[in-house]
Amino acid sequence: MPKAIGLVTCNYTTASKDDVFLDRPVASMPYLGRYRLVDFALSNMVDAGIRTVGMIMPNNYRSLVDHVGSGKDWDLDRKNGGLFIMPGTAFGTSRTGARFLIRDLVQNRAFFTKNNEKYVVLSTANFICSVDINALIAKHEETGANITVLTKKASCDGNVDVVTFDVENGRVKSMHQGVKFGEAAFLDYAVIERTLLLELLDSFAAVDHLDLFEALNSEYSRFRVMACEFDGYMKPIFDKASYFTANMDLLDTDVLAELTNARPIKTKAHDNPPAKYEPGCKVSNSLVASGDRIYGTVQGSILGRNVIVEPGASVRNSVIMQGVIVKSGAKIENAIIDKANVVPAGTELRGTDGDILYLKKN
Amino acid sequence: MLLAGGQGSRLGVLTSKVAKPAVSFGGKYRIIDFVLSNCANSGISTVGVLTQYRPYLLHEYLGTGEAWNLDERGGGVAILPPFATQTGASWYAGTADAITQNLGYLEGQDPEYVLILSGDQLYRMDYEDMLATHKANNADLTVAVMPVPWEDAPRFGIMNTREDGSIEEFVEKPAEPKSNLASMGIYIFNADVLIKTLKEDAEKEDSSHDFGGDIIPTLLAEGKRLYTYQFKAYWRDVGTVASFHEANMELLGEEPAFDLFAQDAPIMSNSSTRPPAFVGPKGSVDDSLIDNGCTILGSVEHSVISSDVFVGKGAIVKDSILFPGARVEENAVVINAIMAERATVKAGATFGSADEETVTLGDDAVVEKEA
Repeated sequence: MPKAIGLVTCNYTTASKDDVFLDRPVASMPYLGRYRLVDFALSNMVDAGIRTVGMIMPNNYRSLVDHVGSGKDWDLDRKNGGLFIMPGTAFGTSRTGARFLIRDLVQNRAFFTKNNEKYVVLSTANFICSVDINALIAKHEETGANITVLTKKASCDGNVDVVTFDVENGRVKSMHQGVKFGEAAFLDYAVIERTLLLELLDSFAAVDHLDLFEALNSEYSRFRVMACEFDGYMKPIFDKASYFTANMDLLDTDVLAELTNARPIKTKAHDNPPAKYEPGCKVSNSLVASGDRIYGTVQGSILGRNVIVEPGASVRNSVIMQGVIVKSGAKIENAIIDKANVVPAGTELRGTDGDILYLKKN
Repeated sequence: MLLAGGQGSRLGVLTSKVAKPAVSFGGKYRIIDFVLSNCANSGISTVGVLTQYRPYLLHEYLGTGEAWNLDERGGGVAILPPFATQTGASWYAGTADAITQNLGYLEGQDPEYVLILSGDQLYRMDYEDMLATHKANNADLTVAVMPVPWEDAPRFGIMNTREDGSIEEFVEKPAEPKSNLASMGIYIFNADVLIKTLKEDAEKEDSSHDFGGDIIPTLLAEGKRLYTYQFKAYWRDVGTVASFHEANMELLGEEPAFDLFAQDAPIMSNSSTRPPAFVGPKGSVDDSLIDNGCTILGSVEHSVISSDVFVGKGAIVKDSILFPGARVEENAVVINAIMAERATVKAGATFGSADEETVTLGDDAVVEKEA
């Protein structure tokens, strides 16, 4: 078990104007039929043996608290330690770039003083990846760094929300917002010594509107911040397009296995019956969650829990979130249908490959 | 008090490693889920579970009872295996003896009424309604009964009743039945009557310490008020491989005999958090139940598939029941079969056929391709 506590920040929005993220914190976005994005950060930490995890909440925290509850489903309902739900500052939600907002950390300083483990593992909620945090801590100790950040060389130009480090011989020289091909994208996982974090919070008190790594920009010569290269599947989710691909990527069984087998993704347990495939249905190349009832056709799609696809209805190349009912004869293609929508009989909802149609939650 | 110690020997290899109540059922459940969910849905918050035969999986599965909202302070689930006292130790020798040996637990809970249940039956019942009947009749004991076809009556314990539902006579497996009301092995006792009768029965050397065979006849002879509670909905005692197979198949179809999706009394289970099932580009599924964590690359038809099952490319699964973790490799064929947990049918092999009786494959067993 690592000498570490975890911190998952959830008090931020994305630069994207897509309404996918308008009604909810990024952290509680449903993903892959049955998860929420925050499950990955929590599961990675818990899998490494961390049993003290703080979550900094956005102001619209209802769905997030509903999801994590007492932390029981992640074994975080401990007598000592466990899950700490902490307030974020109201300022954070209007600030897109700052995911490790210093003001949020300062406001919850007690979390870092009361738990006396050696390290703090930092994370946000919207990177889909399965991370061995103990390996990250081992790398941190091996290089004798002050801070170790998890990075991955970008395979294409990426989102403006992703933070990028300029790295020389493994050492971070500076950071900037947005990522281009070949640059070291920050996966928002970092290890820092707890006492150093407390020192930094004190010394950055005057610039608490900044992101921690942004504030460090003038200090990267003073502190040894080392980059640790991640070699697995990774997907940042910051807009509609990346959300859609991050779902569809999982139709590749190798990616699905990497993300869910080696390190189980824990999530809130639900009592759904198994999915029921009715006589005459057609299902192929799809992920189908429990509680679904399929009478019609489903191809190349992700179906959340308790979805009903009625006779004669078809769902193609789409992400259908929990509780959606696709009435008979309705046709859905290239779309994201958010929670609890009823798609009326005979309607057609079609997006294109380049512009996925989004139906907001009911 | 939930009797869950039975072996279920007629289920063969399916119960060679686990007790019958812990046998996988319906794609994501274990048999005991149905009775525990009935308890939770009926507002019963204190359940003693009597275990004996191969209890590891059952104990682990029950845990604190939280999956059925039964993790309550001052009540909840208590696991009651046989134990030793100053005067020695013994196994549970019969249904009544199992309760007798746990009178300490029962008296500690100090209930007014005791509901005796079997952990190996499939049905949805509101025990509150049965208790209301018990109270309305001012009964000492109420036995749940259901009408069975007359030709099947000789296989059951039959209650001969008067017009008001009171019990006149109990006959175990009558050759010439006078009634077709079969005992379901579900009893509500007034606690004081139960405790007194069990203590007296324990002293009788000629008693087999069985509710049907000994306790009910004793109470009838004493002139106690015994009533029936008629139950007419779906109820199955999956005693044999054939009836187990049939009960699973009754979950399928557009109007199944037992609807797992009914909202009013959900069947709860100690479920895992596996990803959704993947049906591959060339996979096909028809008329089946498939739980999370499965990978279906071949064809599945009219089957019940539990979590983390793998069906390889070109494989065919038909009229079958696959328990958690079962593997049907490439081009294998599984027809009219039950594969227990983590059982494997190797690539190209065939297991079962439509023309013969349902075949079973035990936990971790492997079927190789014939040379």
